[in-house]
Amino acid sequence: MTPDYVDISVHAFPEGADTPKRLNLVARSLGFAAIGVTAHSPYWSQLSDSSAISGIEIVAHSVRDLRKKIAFFSDTAPIISVHGGDEQINRAACSDDRVDLLMHPDRGKRGGLNQVTAKIAEKNGVALGLSFGYFWKTREIERSRALALQHQNVALCQKFGVPLVITSDAYSHFDLRAPRQLKALARLLPLEDKEATAALSSAPQNIIKRSTQKEKARV
Amino acid sequence: MKPLRPTLRDSFRYVAFTLSSEEPVRTRDLQTEIFKAAKSLFGDVGVSKSGTKVVMFDGTKGLVRCHYRHVPDVQATLATIGKIENNRVRATVLGTSGTIKAAIEKYLQIDERIRRTISSYVTVPVSGKAVRMRGKEIDIIPEDREIVDRADVQFIGITIDDNERLI
Repeated sequence: MTPDYVDISVHAFPEGADTPKRLNLVARSLGFAAIGVTAHSPYWSQLSDSSAISGIEIVAHSVRDLRKKIAFFSDTAPIISVHGGDEQINRAACSDDRVDLLMHPDRGKRGGLNQVTAKIAEKNGVALGLSFGYFWKTREIERSRALALQHQNVALCQKFGVPLVITSDAYSHFDLRAPRQLKALARLLPLEDKEATAALSSAPQNIIKRSTQKEKARV
Repeated sequence: MKPLRPTLRDSFRYVAFTLSSEEPVRTRDLQTEIFKAAKSLFGDVGVSKSGTKVVMFDGTKGLVRCHYRHVPDVQATLATIGKIENNRVRATVLGTSGTIKAAIEKYLQIDERIRRTISSYVTVPVSGKAVRMRGKEIDIIPEDREIVDRADVQFIGITIDDNERLI
């Protein structure tokens, strides 16, 4: 039986070029059971679609700003992910158990994670979001650099038991890839088939479960 | 020259794929792009080992031949193709077979949903011109280019459910 694959971080219209319904249609034809639409700003999440899980990817310019935004969105957004990159932001995101996902911490100068942040992330149940977009958006030096940083982060997360989540980080349906192709790319990191399957199915499903539990607790 | 005995020949697999693109793609351009993508990802040595080669392509679907141990490499290569000649594309793997005949029978006998050209002005969810339709999918050229530039595409993609007046 094939597991229910979920692409938990895609960007829909008006941030990306396709409406949530269009992304959902294409994602289902590729073999996904569901998608999660995370917008970088609440301004972008105007079109909601009941078939897609909605979330927010918080962009913060300082740790203080991040904490403020987490407190603000934790009551409204089902999935809270943080736009990583800056090392201080990465660490602050890993220390907050209201955060579900830390996206691409490797966007900064270095990998963005170390043994300390990995341990904190594991303790607080924050997953590492591996954005695979660079595989088809970049080539050569840029891509090999991104691959090297992601390789380092994956090794750290495997060592400390941080859950991994593979996403396409799509801005249009041309950025979506079928689960089996994402798994073939994950082999290059290197992730074993079992780990890649978990990163595409059980790990994002756990995030969704966690968000429903949080919602129930709030009610 | 005497042909190699079947037991001495390399064993191949045929990977069937579909290609979604903004504009029609020529076979030559696809062949070059697949070779470039494979070379960029695995290098000359990797490509020579996997023996990646486009066997056939009809504009929307095709077959890539490779060495039987290198099927995941071809799947990864096809995933890294995002653009052909400034035209956004997505290659999706349908499945793998041991012979061309089986690959065609199993994976390439799908019903084609024909892309129709339409022309109507829309305002929901964005103002622009709806130009084409394929199944439930509709593509719009928006008046404001900001969103399409950010996503690096030519069209805004919606479905019939987003704008019911377009049926």
